[in-house]
Amino acid sequence: MTQNRMRRIPLVLLLLACGLNSSAQTGTGRIRGTVTSPDGPVVAAPVRAKHQSSGRIFSATSTNSGQFALMDLPAGIYDVSVPEIGLATAPFVQKNVNVEAGQTTSLNIALVKGNHGVIGDDNAYLTIRRKYLNVRGVAPRLADGRPDLSGVWNANVDPNPEAPALLPPANEVWKKRLSTALRDHPDGFCLPGDPTPTIALFYKFVHTRGLLVLLFEHEPHYRQIFLDGRAHPPQADPTWMGHSVGKWDGDTLVVDTTGFNDKSWLIFATGLPHTEMLHMIERYRRPDLGHLQVDLRLEDPGTFTKPVERHMTWQLAPGEEILEDICTENNKFPEYAGIK
Amino acid sequence: MRDAFLTIIFTASAIAWVGSPAAAHHSFAAEFDITKPVTLTGKVTKIEWTNPHAFLFIDVPDKQTGAVTNWEIEMGSPNGLTRLGWTRTLLKTGDEVTVEGSLGRNKANLANARSVVMTATGKKLGAGSSEGAQ
Repeated sequence: MTQNRMRRIPLVLLLLACGLNSSAQTGTGRIRGTVTSPDGPVVAAPVRAKHQSSGRIFSATSTNSGQFALMDLPAGIYDVSVPEIGLATAPFVQKNVNVEAGQTTSLNIALVKGNHGVIGDDNAYLTIRRKYLNVRGVAPRLADGRPDLSGVWNANVDPNPEAPALLPPANEVWKKRLSTALRDHPDGFCLPGDPTPTIALFYKFVHTRGLLVLLFEHEPHYRQIFLDGRAHPPQADPTWMGHSVGKWDGDTLVVDTTGFNDKSWLIFATGLPHTEMLHMIERYRRPDLGHLQVDLRLEDPGTFTKPVERHMTWQLAPGEEILEDICTENNKFPEYAGIK
Repeated sequence: MRDAFLTIIFTASAIAWVGSPAAAHHSFAAEFDITKPVTLTGKVTKIEWTNPHAFLFIDVPDKQTGAVTNWEIEMGSPNGLTRLGWTRTLLKTGDEVTVEGSLGRNKANLANARSVVMTATGKKLGAGSSEGAQ
């Protein structure tokens, strides 16, 4: 056996050299490695490399054993990042990773627990994510032929969030929120924290021909999206979650929401302020049984100098269920945070 | 030919990361101080299996004087804990546990739990499948 191995080595080296020459000629290299958390390999982690000089973005997804490979990278300096995964792991950034033509840079990414690792606060995100990785099949359809978005979805955050651009007064409000560690977030007082679909928990979609209902484990626990052709009411009182109507654009459900009050904080832990002029557009597409593509656009001329966008891919969690969560039952946060 | 393999191994300690300031329900940093870690060993006196957070109460004897202090330990929501394999009867009054977490900012004898280990079995509770979740 040893002899066989010895015989193979020159062949392997030859093949390796050929590969390197080919890459060297085209001026590209690669970054390979493994993504781990304190609980083990992280599957399906989105890994991004940003080429510093051109701004080009290259993406890869880790395998079941946590391995990733960013291929065909033009030689240069890269910033490699992995976003927060649910509330389970904190974001990772490694700047100035050098990629040389014809070479492989090895980068092992050890994610640390997010949300400071409080037991139960991550809702077992990584464990559940791993459990349903192999859900495969064709997206179901309703009787009218439209895609059926029903299911319990394990939501996720945008792996590549762009920094929001705020008008100066709104920016001051936002900076103050961040400087006080989001202490006054409505969620901490059992109020609806965020109308956007950006909280990394479960969302249950109950999809009928004329109505889509979203159920979730935080205030106010539901949203109604009317699919029966009605328009927004002309002069409705502003509300925390606004008024939502949906229309189809091919196989994509486009949900339009207006009529917000200005009390909620947007994109959950981002804590963005907004005015009553907020206009939210969500696009939901189910490319297969196990995934939901969620594209979010927030327009508010009283807050943003350009729309804020987020792009998420949610995963079906068919064995999970939305559970009761009555926040006012025993909320000690205001007292323990020294607010009252 | 130059050395084809350029190997750079980065560890967590070298990573610049920004911890999310928000927990599933509220701001973590407003209630707890991540720079003040604490390890407490004591016997369970009470469990509040409630929303939005479950609380564990333990009697912790002072190592020098033996004087006992009752500590309040904040955990995640019952839903989150359930998904990690906990039940409301997993821990019983009198069970000894060791808790690792961070100190509360505004209240004495308050901490959160990053990990809970049962003394009798040595098992880390609810830490995910690879760490011996119950």
